[in-house]
Amino acid sequence: MERREVSFRIQRYNPQVDQTPFYDNFKIAVEKGITILRVLNHIKEQLEPRLTFRAFCQAGICGSCAVRVNGISKLACTTQVWDELTGGGDDPILIEPLSNLPVIRDLLVDIDPVIEKLRQNQGWVVPSIPEEKMGFKEHAVSDDEFEVINAATDCILCGSCYSECSMMGVNPRYISPPVLLKTFRMNNDTRDTDGDERLRRVTADHGLWDCTHCYRCVEHCTKNIPIMDGIHRLREEAFERGMTGSEGARHAQAFFDDTRNTGRLREVTLPLRTKGVTGSFGMLPLALKMALKGRTPPLFVHRIAGIERIREIYRKLEK
Amino acid sequence: MKFAYFLSCINESMTREVDRSIESLKKDLDIVLFKLEKGACCGGSNLDYVSPEHFLVINGRNIALAEQMNLDLVTSCSTCLLTLRRAKQILDSSPDKRQFVNSFLANEGLSYTGSSDVKHLLWVITEDLGLSRLAEKVTTPLTGIRFAPFYGCHIIRPSQLLGRDNPASPSSLDLVVEALGGSLVEYPSKNKCCGFHTLLVAEKESLAMSGNAIESAIRAEADYIVTPCPLCHTALDAYQPKALEGRRVSRSIPVLHLSQIIGLALGHSREELGIDRHMIT
Repeated sequence: MERREVSFRIQRYNPQVDQTPFYDNFKIAVEKGITILRVLNHIKEQLEPRLTFRAFCQAGICGSCAVRVNGISKLACTTQVWDELTGGGDDPILIEPLSNLPVIRDLLVDIDPVIEKLRQNQGWVVPSIPEEKMGFKEHAVSDDEFEVINAATDCILCGSCYSECSMMGVNPRYISPPVLLKTFRMNNDTRDTDGDERLRRVTADHGLWDCTHCYRCVEHCTKNIPIMDGIHRLREEAFERGMTGSEGARHAQAFFDDTRNTGRLREVTLPLRTKGVTGSFGMLPLALKMALKGRTPPLFVHRIAGIERIREIYRKLEK
Repeated sequence: MKFAYFLSCINESMTREVDRSIESLKKDLDIVLFKLEKGACCGGSNLDYVSPEHFLVINGRNIALAEQMNLDLVTSCSTCLLTLRRAKQILDSSPDKRQFVNSFLANEGLSYTGSSDVKHLLWVITEDLGLSRLAEKVTTPLTGIRFAPFYGCHIIRPSQLLGRDNPASPSSLDLVVEALGGSLVEYPSKNKCCGFHTLLVAEKESLAMSGNAIESAIRAEADYIVTPCPLCHTALDAYQPKALEGRRVSRSIPVLHLSQIIGLALGHSREELGIDRHMIT
């Protein structure tokens, strides 16, 4: 059995006592195949009983043990020490709490902000069967119907995507990837009847259209859920349901229109079309400075060669 | 080496220096680029929200134009890269969707088959040209210049679609800098988001993202940020004064395109490469 000494650098923090977070180092002999969670358990049982973290199922199902390992959010129970060794195995493995959530102590974060956002955005099925008739009549979901939301139902609310999200990092009020995923999942559940209202809520400020599509949520989802596909689908749904008044929707519409008109994006009027006249007023100083450097987009873009072909495609698709 | 070159909208407007600098490099690097004059805007990962069918047909057609020339399709914009590769993945995995798209392309004599790859200029440099050949061509090594490589998102994530760099610790751009004789600084933002795509819908938040990246590069004492994406460039350069408002940093930092640092190392002038067109110089 392969075995080696590995250093672990673990963030410690008790907000009631400590001014700022600090790090403790532990050097432990570890066998190949050992997970980060077993290391944390070992440290708690043998070396530092005050080390605080959350864990339960030890099998990647309950989602409670997510931490950042070497800067990336992961489940401690499914992450092997050997896969995290860098610098020829000599660098310490850094273990920190999830980002974008309040730290209760050490590696333990408060997940309540996520739960509260789910509550505000109706993250549950609103069925067509009235409450009093519940339990008397089956509402079956076929395999094909379930397939649409199959991957999304794998979400274990571990909080990794919440921790990795670029927008969450700069706006705590942002709706967040797990809530958008849950919205997609509920809106595509054939038993649900409240898609309109749910989508109206998530397209409000700090909502659906604020996603920067940085794909960090997808990249680091512990259950490999294509979260961005769900977000894409919700944006499509906003158009299908005619919820096109938001800046984000107007922005998307501009790309659609320009491709038909010239085949090129007309960037010069993009702020105006996205934000409206008053909204884009604040951009004038930057536009002037860019003009001095010759960086302003041209007033009129050229039509691509054979634009008629593109328009033909549009006409055919609109039929 | 011959490629079809996808014309990105932003490189015809705000970042015209990208195509200009690539133009001046082609001969040195022995790369022939055939401009895809008939190619249409990829939709900037926005078109599909309005209509997934339009997104698929327009981008299937873009790739089919390169297939007609028997060439791989190269772009120097990371969002064009992601958008085109998303369409390619959908079409390559579904005969029905291919048939659907081809029904719109037939009267133009085009057909999508999946034979052309879609690549970023950075990949052409690291894979088709190769780092050792790039290093051989250096005439003015960037010795002593410290670069903060900024990858941006759509060239590394989602990795299942892009598949070159490890998104947690990308290295391809670092290797290009080293091949050109430059030095690297360690800083925490190289794989973070520049915020470009929400600049018009959530400006404050986007500027916080670009500001974080710019500030961390300055704190790491980099001389330049370098990026392979013109959208990242715009968020980091044009918006830099705004992004740094209220931050305690001692200076600004110029941002260079991938093509410009290669151009500098190959002995081209700043004027030729359009570096003086940047907002921060």
